[in-house]
Amino acid sequence: MRKILLVLFTALIHFSLLAQKTGDTYSFEFKNVDRLKAIETIEATTPYHFYFEKEWMDSDKSLISGSYKNVTITTLLESIFNNTSLNFYVTKNKIILTQNNVIHEKLATNYFGAIKTENSNKDSNDLTGKPVFYQQYDSINKSYTKNNNGVVFIGKETKTTDAKFCTITGIIINTTTGKPESNIVIKVRNKNISTISDNDGNYSLKLPTGTNIIETRSLSHKKVVKTLVVYNNGELNINIAENSNQLDEVFIKGKGSKAVESVVSGVISIDIEAMKNMPLILGERDILKVATTLPGVKTTGEGSAGFNVRGGKDDQNLFLLDNAVLYNPQHFLGFFSSINPYTAKKATIYKGSIPADLGGRLSSVFDITTKNGNPETITGEGAIGPITSNLSVSVPLEKNKSSLLFGGRATYSDWVLKSLKNDDLANSQASFYDGILKYNNALNKNNFLESTLYYSHDKFSLSSDSIYSYSNRLASIKWDHSFNSKNKAAVILTNSEYKFDIDFDTTAKNAFVSGYKLNETQLLLKFNYLYSDKHKFQYGLTSKLYNVYPGFLNPTNPNTTLKPIEIAQEKGLESALYVSDSYKINDKFSVDLGLRYSLYASLGETDQRVYAPNLPLNDATVIETKHYGNNQVATTYGTFEPRLAARYLLTDDLSIKAGYDKTSQYIHLLSSNVTQSPTDTWILSNLNIKPQTAQQASIGIFKNFDNNLYEVSLESYYKKSKNILDYKVGAQLQLNEHVETELLQGEGKAYGIEFLVKKQFGRLNGWLGYTYSRTFIKLDSQFSEEKVNNGNYFPANYDKPHDVSAILNYKFTKRYSLSSNFVYQTGRPITYPIGTYIYNNANYTLYSDRNAFRIPDYYRLDIGINIEGNHKIKKLAHSFWNISVYNVLGRANPYSIYFVTDGDGKVKAFKTSIFSIPVPSITYNFKF
Amino acid sequence: MKIKITSNLFSLLLLCFIFNSCTEPYILETNTYEEALVVEATITNELKKQEITITKTSRFEDKETQIEKGADVFITDNTGTRYHFEEESGKYISTIEFQAIPGKEYRLNINTKDGRTIVSTTETLSAINPMQDVKAAVETKDSLRGVAIRVSSYDPTNTAKYYRFEYEETYKIIAPEWRLKKAITIDGVNGANPTLEVIANDPNTRICYSTKKNTEIILTSTNELNEDRVDFVPRFISDQNYIISHRYCILVKQYVENLPAYTYYKTLKKISGTESILSPLQPGFLNGNLKSVNNPNDKIMGYFDVASVSSKRIYFNYIDLFPKDPPPPYYTKCDEQALLFCFGPPPCYGDELVYYFANNLMTYSLHEGILYHIYPAPCGDCTTFSSNIKPPFWVD
Repeated sequence: MRKILLVLFTALIHFSLLAQKTGDTYSFEFKNVDRLKAIETIEATTPYHFYFEKEWMDSDKSLISGSYKNVTITTLLESIFNNTSLNFYVTKNKIILTQNNVIHEKLATNYFGAIKTENSNKDSNDLTGKPVFYQQYDSINKSYTKNNNGVVFIGKETKTTDAKFCTITGIIINTTTGKPESNIVIKVRNKNISTISDNDGNYSLKLPTGTNIIETRSLSHKKVVKTLVVYNNGELNINIAENSNQLDEVFIKGKGSKAVESVVSGVISIDIEAMKNMPLILGERDILKVATTLPGVKTTGEGSAGFNVRGGKDDQNLFLLDNAVLYNPQHFLGFFSSINPYTAKKATIYKGSIPADLGGRLSSVFDITTKNGNPETITGEGAIGPITSNLSVSVPLEKNKSSLLFGGRATYSDWVLKSLKNDDLANSQASFYDGILKYNNALNKNNFLESTLYYSHDKFSLSSDSIYSYSNRLASIKWDHSFNSKNKAAVILTNSEYKFDIDFDTTAKNAFVSGYKLNETQLLLKFNYLYSDKHKFQYGLTSKLYNVYPGFLNPTNPNTTLKPIEIAQEKGLESALYVSDSYKINDKFSVDLGLRYSLYASLGETDQRVYAPNLPLNDATVIETKHYGNNQVATTYGTFEPRLAARYLLTDDLSIKAGYDKTSQYIHLLSSNVTQSPTDTWILSNLNIKPQTAQQASIGIFKNFDNNLYEVSLESYYKKSKNILDYKVGAQLQLNEHVETELLQGEGKAYGIEFLVKKQFGRLNGWLGYTYSRTFIKLDSQFSEEKVNNGNYFPANYDKPHDVSAILNYKFTKRYSLSSNFVYQTGRPITYPIGTYIYNNANYTLYSDRNAFRIPDYYRLDIGINIEGNHKIKKLAHSFWNISVYNVLGRANPYSIYFVTDGDGKVKAFKTSIFSIPVPSITYNFKF
Repeated sequence: MKIKITSNLFSLLLLCFIFNSCTEPYILETNTYEEALVVEATITNELKKQEITITKTSRFEDKETQIEKGADVFITDNTGTRYHFEEESGKYISTIEFQAIPGKEYRLNINTKDGRTIVSTTETLSAINPMQDVKAAVETKDSLRGVAIRVSSYDPTNTAKYYRFEYEETYKIIAPEWRLKKAITIDGVNGANPTLEVIANDPNTRICYSTKKNTEIILTSTNELNEDRVDFVPRFISDQNYIISHRYCILVKQYVENLPAYTYYKTLKKISGTESILSPLQPGFLNGNLKSVNNPNDKIMGYFDVASVSSKRIYFNYIDLFPKDPPPPYYTKCDEQALLFCFGPPPCYGDELVYYFANNLMTYSLHEGILYHIYPAPCGDCTTFSSNIKPPFWVD
């Protein structure tokens, strides 16, 4: 620091001395003249003579205006050559202009800018674009304490360089894995030049000769800034590190200009680090909660476990954690997500334009990947909150080659509850934990290995005698192999298990234990073939075997009248072939064309009923029961699923995109509850349950303003689906051997318009989203028992037309920041009791048409404050405190409305709210 | 100390979070009420004047059910016959006696006063399979001892399959504390100087007969059995139920239902019944087979049911089924009270006694001077909750 101050001091003296030399003052008036004219004017009225190349003036014919009274020649010239690449050198009566380079004896005006960056990073942007005197680089670079890369000279300086633009090429390499990194944006500061690295990490940039400062931009990597002095074409390889262990300022940053440039629309990328700035619920960072603040992703209600993406049902979302399916991504009925935010690297949510290599669910894919461990040194991070504590540790196994990352999270609510005096509470329990272990190994230049193990467990008991528990278990292993620079392959093997158990009313006569289990194993082969710059092919195949144990019920009290139930196992094989081409037709127009064919086979051993054709499915219309032996194919369904996306760049920061995709789904969740609950069961398609299919068409317009500071998008979609599962009035879904007799398969339609504006960085950043969307279902049939609402379209349970969310962060200082989150949603539809009637001497309640009414609107404001620890580099652990208040307004948002008939036969309505008062929480986070 | 504060903070959070999930009454919008017609129409193969009731749905706060009056109601069959129904004391009764004939197709037509036309789908008579036997036997069900009314029937053609039962039970009641004398008040409650007088009791207040119909929907199906053999208990009476204390009779009606009708009743039963432990049932409006022609979205409750019926009445006495057991407890608890007939502060209860006897709230047992022994009224007078008219079918 002292050294820098000294430099600053000497610089100031030097500058003032220079200024005195050229102390005479002049007055000028310029009105829309070019610089050549200005120079001529100055030469005419002052003793000075200019020396320059005329073509410099030709290259920039912008007009200048200005009025100067009694200014020194230096001030005058500074003003005139501001925003140009020209420097000047005043010596006696000569003024020598130079392009880019500065003549040695004089300090460039922007010397101050460079010094200033030491105090405030923000201003570092001002530094560039103006010519830079390269001898200063030593001190400039000191200001980038983390990105201490020296100046790079590209090409050979020659006096006769003709090229105004030079091409720089190179490879971007991950310092951790040694792998080339694709999709890294390389931007030239203050110039509208950028590029993206291709799948092999190659990039190519056309830079003007002279000084350029380039930086890499990626959500998941540390920023690398390099100062280049470009004389000629050349090569520069850039090493970048993963963003796993830094504690700098975090931007809520989308993909920058990528949102405009990428071909697919309907994609949300969540920057895990950015979540630090979100207000928390009970001190928990939550990826999925962040997702719900973006247009198109909704939940049915506070504390509900399911997600509804663009009018899709809860079960139409594919949650992938390192390629393996996570069946229940939520803890404790949806209050917490089961994804550890400290080990997650990236979450990409496809609301539309689902890539052809993904499939099996209708509405969306939540593709979540875990960080790799740090192969250099032991690092860790953790949080202590009111409900849970969280710790993740990364250990290198073989330096710079392989590492292990472990993340764990657990509640201590059980212990708290037990210590309470209140008997009701002491007998209750609510606990969960999850753990993840990730191993990665860069075997050699062409082979990489990654493996993930994950387990989550929930246990809760709300009425004191019944215990519910559920768990997710998954494992995945992935081997990446490069055959050559054009061909790559990945082999992925995954296994997931979801199960729940109910230990009901353990002390009563009708006590029972009940359970459910689902297991799936998947093999995926993915190939990438870089055919040319214009065509990039991906192809592969996947096959998945499902084993579903639909449930059992075993009475535990010998005096019970309950009968044990056991429902036979279901088996299915879902396979798919896909091929896709990213076709760059020209610089402006690109198309992603994907073709996927999925094939599902319902496998034995199974007994399946055959119902009379053209009659409702019920016990009476059974013609026969067919038996299928083990692995015998009972029935198959195939779906051709084209996926199309197109982008046309109108200008560099304005694009229009369109997409069409078809999806199919062979596994369905049975859930008559309004919200998804952990005791809902998944069933497979079979003879009587057809696969669901959906088609979505979407169009969007994407615009970035102000050098990507603001990102605005407007997207619209229309979706039609077939064979959506719904239920007959009075359906009994659990432990039902012939559940098809309770099901209806209908049509769905959904449409919406999504608006999002993001301010990507700066002191004040955040986003505002508004969605108008509608979702309808139609259940029609010639049989009255299979008709709902007279066969008309009716709003789905999760139809919430208006949805506004706003996230705002404000950074007061480096250490203090405030974040807020506001949500407004139309109340969801509900079926009301609308009257009573007497039939056969008994009183009945008359219900409205399904979903004819709505519960009150939902709104909520959360506020959080982050306080960072000091920014000393050498200390044991970085830390920050988060203080949040959830539901600041204390709005009693209805979670559910239910009806109770009291003793007098009167129906009363009750409203349950989960957080009806502001809920404060405080969390301590640390990193080492 | 620090730990304690923290733990209190935790519990506060958890309290609100998990348990104090803040339930509050929610005002049901009254404008949710929709007036809809409820049609009860079961036409049987019994030759009689058939009955149809048409009522309206009511608001939750309403006590009375409104009857749809002035409607033009008729049933047509596929041979062109029209059976007219006329309104009579809140019901629509066919002008002539008729019975449903197998193979004929029937359709119910209703033209309401306000111009709505409601028609049913065409229905045919269900299979005919009369009950073979109805028996009463002492059985234990769910570790509860009582009398099971067991129905058996058998359809060798295996076509009936779906059964619905109705019953009407009638039982004799004997007031246990009936006395030859009763107390009446003179000068009434507000009289200046009320007194009590003991006179001969009305002998018709000792023995009564109550008749009740089933209120729940009773269904059984033989679909999953190898043969169409019904062995079913439509009524089970606990041995602690006062209704079987003396003599009891039950009329059991067995309707054979078509599958759609059976499905309708089954769903109706399900949505009105207790909810499943694991997941609540899907609520909603249940479609029957009646439609409004003018507006297909109108809700018409009920089912036009054409079903074969058979009925059987049986009697039993408590003493025959439970020769060794004491009779079950009475309708109400009969605890004797003794109050002083005088006016002033307690122990005087003159005002109360006058009020009780004048309004028949308590029944007189005996008195010793001004000390009156009394019982709750039903203990001495069964007409307070039942009827002393012996039903015409009753056989002692």
